Amino acid sequence: MRRRISGSMITVAIAAAALGAIVSMSITRTSAQAPAAPAARPARVGGKPNFSGIWEANNEANWDLQAHAALPAAVTQPGVYPFDYARVPAAPVLALGAAGAVPGSLGVVQGDGQIPYKPEALLMKKDNAEHWIDRDPELKCYLPGIPRAMYMPYPFQITQGTNKIHMAYEFSNTARTIHLDKVAGPPDDTWMGHSVGHWDGDTLVVDVTNFNDRSWFDRAGNFHSDALHLTERFTLMSPDIIRYEVTIEDPKVFTQPWRIAMPLYRRVEPNMQLLEFRCNEFVEEFMYGGVRKQQLVKHWEGETMAVDITRKVPSGDKFYEWYGGKQ
Amino acid sequence: MPDRFSRSMITLAIAATAAGAIISVSITRTSAQTQTASATAHTASAKSSATATALKTPWGEPDLQGIWTDESDTPLQRSPKYANQEFFTEAQRTELDKERAALLGRDRRVERGTELDVAGAYNAQFMSVKHTGARTSLIVDPPNGRIPPLTPEAQKISAAEREFRLALLQATQTCKNKSVGCAGGKYDPTPSPRFAEPPPRYNTARMNRRDNPEDGALPDRCLTGGLPEFGGATGSFRRIVQTPGGIAMFYDVGQGQGWQRNIVMNGSPHLPANIRQWYGDSRGHWEGNTLVIDVTNFSPKTDYQGSRENLHLLERWTRTGPNTLEYVVTVEDPTVWTRPWTVKQEFTKQSDDENRIYYEPRCIEGNYASPGLMHGQRMAEAAFAKGQGPDPRISDNATDFVGVEDDPLQ
Amino acid sequence: MRTKIATVVAVVGFAILGGAASVSAHHAFAAEFDASKPVSFKGTITKMEWVNPHTWMHVDVKKPDGTVENWAVEAGTPNVLFRRGFTKESLLPGTEVVVDGYQAKDGSHRANGRDLTFPDGRKLFLGSSGTGAPYELSPESKK
Repeated sequence: MRRRISGSMITVAIAAAALGAIVSMSITRTSAQAPAAPAARPARVGGKPNFSGIWEANNEANWDLQAHAALPAAVTQPGVYPFDYARVPAAPVLALGAAGAVPGSLGVVQGDGQIPYKPEALLMKKDNAEHWIDRDPELKCYLPGIPRAMYMPYPFQITQGTNKIHMAYEFSNTARTIHLDKVAGPPDDTWMGHSVGHWDGDTLVVDVTNFNDRSWFDRAGNFHSDALHLTERFTLMSPDIIRYEVTIEDPKVFTQPWRIAMPLYRRVEPNMQLLEFRCNEFVEEFMYGGVRKQQLVKHWEGETMAVDITRKVPSGDKFYEWYGGKQ
Repeated sequence: MPDRFSRSMITLAIAATAAGAIISVSITRTSAQTQTASATAHTASAKSSATATALKTPWGEPDLQGIWTDESDTPLQRSPKYANQEFFTEAQRTELDKERAALLGRDRRVERGTELDVAGAYNAQFMSVKHTGARTSLIVDPPNGRIPPLTPEAQKISAAEREFRLALLQATQTCKNKSVGCAGGKYDPTPSPRFAEPPPRYNTARMNRRDNPEDGALPDRCLTGGLPEFGGATGSFRRIVQTPGGIAMFYDVGQGQGWQRNIVMNGSPHLPANIRQWYGDSRGHWEGNTLVIDVTNFSPKTDYQGSRENLHLLERWTRTGPNTLEYVVTVEDPTVWTRPWTVKQEFTKQSDDENRIYYEPRCIEGNYASPGLMHGQRMAEAAFAKGQGPDPRISDNATDFVGVEDDPLQ
Repeated sequence: MRTKIATVVAVVGFAILGGAASVSAHHAFAAEFDASKPVSFKGTITKMEWVNPHTWMHVDVKKPDGTVENWAVEAGTPNVLFRRGFTKESLLPGTEVVVDGYQAKDGSHRANGRDLTFPDGRKLFLGSSGTGAPYELSPESKK
């Protein structure tokens, strides 16, 4: 019997992670106990503005940092016209209909709204975008890196001490500690970077370095190298809104520094708390379904559409590279 | 290339923990020993209120902040021969350290080309062996330092899991040789028809099948890390950061299993019963100088010594000195154990400056082995189907280390 | 049965800690690597991936016929090494290593690093370049 395993890999992003924005959390409290949180949180800690609490960005930056009109999907193919503005969703996301569409955005890139790629890097970005399904680390539940973790459509919690500020992000157990005191750097490059903070008046300024080159900025294929260096600024605009700005430098990829900026909003629901989003279990079918003994997800039958999935497994030495996420 | 390695420590891997089971250490002693009331080296009992008051955050809460780990090795359960002796004597500790250190110098590899040699995995520097701790067990209640008996229901479930795993081993050399890994099982040259069955419950432990990712043990799938967390050979660290009315804990355990605990401190009730989580739901409040955390809502996909969704923990965290923190947890699950049991552990503060926590404890981004394991099985199955290799089901891909090394202290 | 005594320190079976859920249970290597395909080669490191659950060393191996093969060698978790003071600078591309292990069952150029040494026989990852972990037991340590 010939082996059915052939040479390359196709996976279909049916994972709920691709939808992102439609996940809604509605937690109802039926107990008679009143929430006590707001009174316990002082406006200042250690003489500095208190950023503690649960926050979330409310924009489309995770789809694409740059300004764009709404799109049929993140992966598209030519329609009946040769125009770029008349493409149609490609097979991996077709069954999601409008839930797989990309909403329009005013963009969060400051200045002229352009990301100053070097020419060869811009080609890489376009290649990334075309290979979104295979390459976006978000779809594998990998760490989102900074700044992406700050504007994914999921809440995160800031716990502000006097020498450390800890940020725990709901997505995939992502976390980082901002060191306000002196610490040694990390032993190796990291997905989330090494964050060192100091105060500039009432603004928290964070210097982030020691990145690896694995994370993306968004679902549009915007990427960086291990030379990435960020300068973040957090300023309270009001008790429930943070102005978040980042200066992004990466001399291997960009011709000059560029900036993004956006508000972050406090999740003011009573008794708000982070829930788990341990998605690595959810993406096992996406990532490893091809090496199951029997194919599990094969066929879906709707009333107007049937979807058939063919799995492919990369051969031999390519096998390892695909899971490493860098091709 | 210049020599980059200085002659500092020689440390070796102690890796029997890989099987996921706890192997109690049984130390043979030749001299009679007297029970001592307490170990002089034990500092966790120092509850000087003056010290405790001084260790407060600027806003007046007890300060639990820092990176904390247990700097010594203590078995979870007390060896029966110590009966109700809670602490080792100094002499016992010294002797234990000597014996364990002597093991570090041993040099054993089995015959090349055998599965057992493959199972030995890699050089032994990847794990950490610490000094023997003051206590004879982490468990302080019941007084014999051992986990209470299982309920009849739990015994049945445990037996069903064991039978299933033994069935998958029945055609292997492990069972043919009546090796320890097949204890309670039998040999049959024909692979069991149970290879086609799902396991009795959601699988969390090793089994001799690799048809699907779900056949992997939780560590294979980077799904470990959870509560209660008592330590392991690759380290167990928790970083605590506090803010008025809030506390965050980030754990670095196992092989890159990093996870967050967001302790809810606002007095609200636990999550509704339909929300189950891997790490449970932690609700905390202060009782004097102690942080008390109640954890419920565990997922049926977790497993701690057989306890799953009915696990309930009550933790007590107390800063006992400038560099020490006492952690006490009562573990209960009336469907599994006939009574609750309590662990006491002392953590020592680690230097923040040296970045003692592995900076980014992550597992999934580098888990090339999980698909590799399945891919290997698919290749073996394909070869067998073509008559070019043995039936993969007669090879034991579940047991490791058993048989590679005989524990000289047992 | 002949027991090979290598110059490297081997694994000793000894467990002392509680919490099965947190135990670093590495996977069953025998499922991924083939006992009938032992490999032994000297190569030059091209890249180190200090990742969990297993570090991967990428090694260029020059074959007798002059061609070069690139192998990926699986080793243990980097956590303990990092806490002893290892960094990514500790083992740089260009370093020669000797790998003694077993090849992956799928026949690709992957192996587990059963024994990893320098060409002079000294064990890889021995010692540290930094501060070490003072609470660890060592053969010379006193309480």
